Amino acid sequence: MLSIALIGYAGFAALCLAMEKHFSELLKRKPSPGKLRVLRIGGWLLLMLSLVLAVHGRGWAHGLVEWIAVLMAGVTLWVFGLPYQPRLVLGLAAVSLVLGPLLAVLAG
Amino acid sequence: MKEGFRQAMAWLHTWTGLIFGWLLFAIFLTGTLSYFKDEVSHWAQPEVRRHALDPVASLGLAQRYLESNAAHSGSWMIRLPSEREAALNVGWRDPEGGRRGFVRKDLDAQSGQPVEARDSRGGDFFYRFHFELQMPYPWGRWLSTLCAFIMLLGLVTGIITHKKIFKEFFTFRPGKGQRSWLDGHNAIGVLVLPFHLMISYSSLVLFMYMVMPASIMASYGDTSGYFNDLFGRDEAPKVANVATPLVPLAGLYAKVQEQVPGARIGFIQVQNAGDRNARVTFTQSSADNVPYQRSANWTFEGATGELLKQGAPESATMMTAFSFAGLHMGNYAGPWLRWLYFAFGLAGTAVIGTGLVMWLGKRQLKHAKQERLPGELRLVEVLNIASMSGLILAVAGFFWANRLLPVALQGRADWEVNTFFLVWLAALLHAVLRPGRRAWGEQLALGALAFALLPLLNALSTGQGLNASVPAGDWAMAGFDLTALARGLFLAWAASKMLRPPKPAAKRAPKAAKVSPEMVEVQ
Repeated sequence: MLSIALIGYAGFAALCLAMEKHFSELLKRKPSPGKLRVLRIGGWLLLMLSLVLAVHGRGWAHGLVEWIAVLMAGVTLWVFGLPYQPRLVLGLAAVSLVLGPLLAVLAG
Repeated sequence: MKEGFRQAMAWLHTWTGLIFGWLLFAIFLTGTLSYFKDEVSHWAQPEVRRHALDPVASLGLAQRYLESNAAHSGSWMIRLPSEREAALNVGWRDPEGGRRGFVRKDLDAQSGQPVEARDSRGGDFFYRFHFELQMPYPWGRWLSTLCAFIMLLGLVTGIITHKKIFKEFFTFRPGKGQRSWLDGHNAIGVLVLPFHLMISYSSLVLFMYMVMPASIMASYGDTSGYFNDLFGRDEAPKVANVATPLVPLAGLYAKVQEQVPGARIGFIQVQNAGDRNARVTFTQSSADNVPYQRSANWTFEGATGELLKQGAPESATMMTAFSFAGLHMGNYAGPWLRWLYFAFGLAGTAVIGTGLVMWLGKRQLKHAKQERLPGELRLVEVLNIASMSGLILAVAGFFWANRLLPVALQGRADWEVNTFFLVWLAALLHAVLRPGRRAWGEQLALGALAFALLPLLNALSTGQGLNASVPAGDWAMAGFDLTALARGLFLAWAASKMLRPPKPAAKRAPKAAKVSPEMVEVQ
């Protein structure tokens, strides 16, 4: 469940950064259109990956419920952490991007 | 979309939200507490000790106890201890004893001896309150179902009203007065929307026999026939009047485990115990499956131990309804998911609370220069305070009463409930007497003290404080204390915001920001 939460969290972080407003605000530079597209596609792929992992690991009933639950929790943490601790939530996203798949591989 | 339509939806959202918001806040908060119903009950009855789970041994203890104490009754019920419930609960039908002719006893899961626990409704009080509202049947259920419908309506109209749902998906701007409240309201509403939709829609499914009974009435004439078909009838065979000992229940448990390895058993029902026609039914725990289904059961011949029948699987329609019921109640959720349920429940409560605060805040701005608020706004202010911080105080009052009322008091459990409502009433009076911002601050500060001191009270009155429960690994007890502490700290933070003079951007400036001595401690 933790790996799914981390991958989903990283996915939402990427989707958020794929919006020009948030990108320039958080990373203090102007994004190129190509970068935004990569972030958007990457974000959706991460969300899909976490869904596949959840359903694969826990079946449709539990998997789907847990996937939605950890996704909601992750994105809420992201949105409400952002104005107070932007570096922390960004750092957590970076860590999740590495740790999430790693945990999934170890568990799988 | 036409602007006129959106305006109409905004109007509906604003006014249904205001009228039902106070009640919805109470329903959501007590409902959220109900996700930890068993844990709250465990805290409320600390006499029941937690032991390592051993279903086979527990069944033996329960059977021995019932055979020596309830042999005269043919009808027994056993609820095994679980990860969440410490007691081994047994009950039997007895026309002369107990409430409604049914006697219940909590047994210690290790010794099999009855535990004399203090009389308390524990978590069950909040659970019942969240859909019955302490009203006589069926009015409370009707009102709470109506509230669920209004919540669903509020979500749909809210989504329509909220123009930039995707553009501002990730947006929260704190420290900007009304703007921040609206951002917070929108963000929690949208980000946790799947939960909000599930919880309000499934409430309607749970009570669909009340909300839309036409098809049931047309086919059955009344609801009891429908429920018999839905959940299965208790078809007790006739008593043969030939005394025959019941086979050991532990052996039947092993047979169930052969069928479904690892199945957890919710409850066991014995009919015609001690007779040749005895029947034993094992029902799988609702913790095992997401849908709240009753079909996972096994009925045995009590005299021989032969498997008679298994519950038939549900139709797809019933599975859909039971899935919504299961999702709503979350019985299947393990510890982590349960905490998430709790967090999302609080999020739902926060959406309602922020909505109520905004309704008033917007209108207060127009009267910022006046000395007093117009009567109707003052009424909303008082009701806001009483329904939010007042309810929090009432919950704290319930827990304090649980620890402070004498164990031998007659009608003790009722007095806990009375304390809850008396504290709530007192909070209402306090809100009437004090100016708005002060009333908020004082009630929140008192709530902070009441919750933060609960772990200490628990340690002093039962000796099962954190110093004892953490080493013993009793995480239900420790978790309650830690949550109370966290809640106390959160309330202290909220109170300190309210007791400080508002920033220039904010609305009405109270003349004096004197802080009474008891508040200083909290800050």
